[in-house]
Amino acid sequence: MRKPILTTFIMLLLAVYFIFPFYWLAIGTTKNVSQLFQKSLLPGVPNNFLENVRAIFTYQNGLFFQWLANSFLYAGLGALIAIFLACMAGYAFRRYDFYGKKLLFLLILGFAMVPVFATTLPLFMLFRDLKLLNTRLAVLLPSFVHVFSVYLMIAYWNQVPEEIFNAAQIDGANDLLIFFKIGLPNLIPGSITLFLLVFVGIWNNFFLPLVVINSRARMPLVLGITTITDPQGFPVYNLTLTSSFFTILPLLILFVLLQKHFKPQLYTGR
Amino acid sequence: MTEEMIMDKMPTKKRMSKKTLDSIKAYLFLAPFLLLFATMVIYPIALSAKLSLYGQRGARMWYIGLQNFVTLFQDPKFWESFRIPLFLLTVQVPLMLFLALLIAFLYEKMEKHGGGIYRFIYYLPYTIPGIVTGIVWSYIFSDSMSPFRPVLDLLGFSGTKILTRPNLQLILLLITLWAFTGYTAFVIYSSLIAIPKAYSEQAQLDGATFWQIAFKIKMPFLRDVCLTLFIFNAIGAIQVFNEPWMLGKLIVLPSNYTPAMYIYNSAFAQGRFTYAAALGLILALLTFSFSLYILHRATKQMLTGESQLLP
Repeated sequence: MRKPILTTFIMLLLAVYFIFPFYWLAIGTTKNVSQLFQKSLLPGVPNNFLENVRAIFTYQNGLFFQWLANSFLYAGLGALIAIFLACMAGYAFRRYDFYGKKLLFLLILGFAMVPVFATTLPLFMLFRDLKLLNTRLAVLLPSFVHVFSVYLMIAYWNQVPEEIFNAAQIDGANDLLIFFKIGLPNLIPGSITLFLLVFVGIWNNFFLPLVVINSRARMPLVLGITTITDPQGFPVYNLTLTSSFFTILPLLILFVLLQKHFKPQLYTGR
Repeated sequence: MTEEMIMDKMPTKKRMSKKTLDSIKAYLFLAPFLLLFATMVIYPIALSAKLSLYGQRGARMWYIGLQNFVTLFQDPKFWESFRIPLFLLTVQVPLMLFLALLIAFLYEKMEKHGGGIYRFIYYLPYTIPGIVTGIVWSYIFSDSMSPFRPVLDLLGFSGTKILTRPNLQLILLLITLWAFTGYTAFVIYSSLIAIPKAYSEQAQLDGATFWQIAFKIKMPFLRDVCLTLFIFNAIGAIQVFNEPWMLGKLIVLPSNYTPAMYIYNSAFAQGRFTYAAALGLILALLTFSFSLYILHRATKQMLTGESQLLP
């Protein structure tokens, strides 16, 4: 088959559209504000990248690193616990015929797509009453619940053959042992995919921390970087851009390294 | 399987007690999730429902029945807030699905010519936070930093501003297309390659061209995935917040620019919590009705033990 020239041309053109903001962000990190105002499409001359990085890393006594640590805490711990809880719930659906099974499934599914804009305001009031407002728990607790994961976990568990459970049961393994020793290993590939999905979801979640977190030291990156100002309260464009760059860097690295896990099952369906 | 069928299968006392035992075990495994689900999802919605029935001034609240909803439906700001979602729903989503379909077919065409790298590049925007998307694009379109500014000046448009309210819809269109088209194309492509080759091979032998095969033979197989994607994007459209929020830092936007912004501003800028709760409920209800088709399909799949749902 010959190389489709027209197709290649269209694909390249589209690639420019999708790459351009990344390129512009990258060159933006090499400029100071007056260089940004020159609107050039080339890296800044002189190159101010290290200057910007130093400014970000030393901004307000290392506030940036607190945001980074918070983001890793919220997304890492949040996703880990969300997945584990969903895994246990999925196991219950797979293994047992229990009272209210269908009703519970409908309930879980029905609430899978409740918008955060509907739940976050009442959560704000709940946390205010519990004196949890402006604590890390206020971001973590809602992150522990990922309803859609339960649904996918049920699907993953359904793919584990019945014989595996039966054989283990005959060998006298109890339910907890079957869950940890026999079931879980079968779930690892699906769980990695799911972990990435939930991790990225929490990492990118802006609205929840915007509402429940006040103090800058407890903000995640996505919220923190929007609060960067000079002492007079004006935005500092080059620092916002440089910190944006470092906000997406972990995600891009994850995506490149674990590309395969971003795909299977979740998207293909059939 | 319906409840009755399950009951029919286990009429004896002994089987029933096994079900009781199973129920205990099942709920032990479910307990941690259910506890958090109840407090972090169900309770907030219930609280919203309760709050929406109250009037409020400062910390004082009193029962007013459905008055908030009456006010809401007579509030022009409420209706105006749907202008952007409607625009996205009627212009951006169909346009994106169409583009994504074409791109998915092109992916297929390029399979032996390094199509993977394009799939990777086009997908990238989907992996980054909406707020960073908002920052970068709003700067790209801001008149002080835009790389398009020199081009416009050169063409003699030095007086016209880029980032203005009338241009904002177009800018949002470009941003949302940028953020979600690659992902959408990838999902469609995944379904596309799952179509059995036999169908297209026969047509190929009959002399059909690539695009004839694409639109006449493969398209019907993609109906379901496109419908699902349409629904997910419709839900996304009524909840748009991050991108206009960032744009709002460079250009003055009304408090009700989108429904989500109206909820946020009603609650936290104006302190009208109960009114915002009513707004949130309406948004949740809209989302729920949009998702009914997906829920219906998912339930069917679950009950027949088939594989899982898309995205």
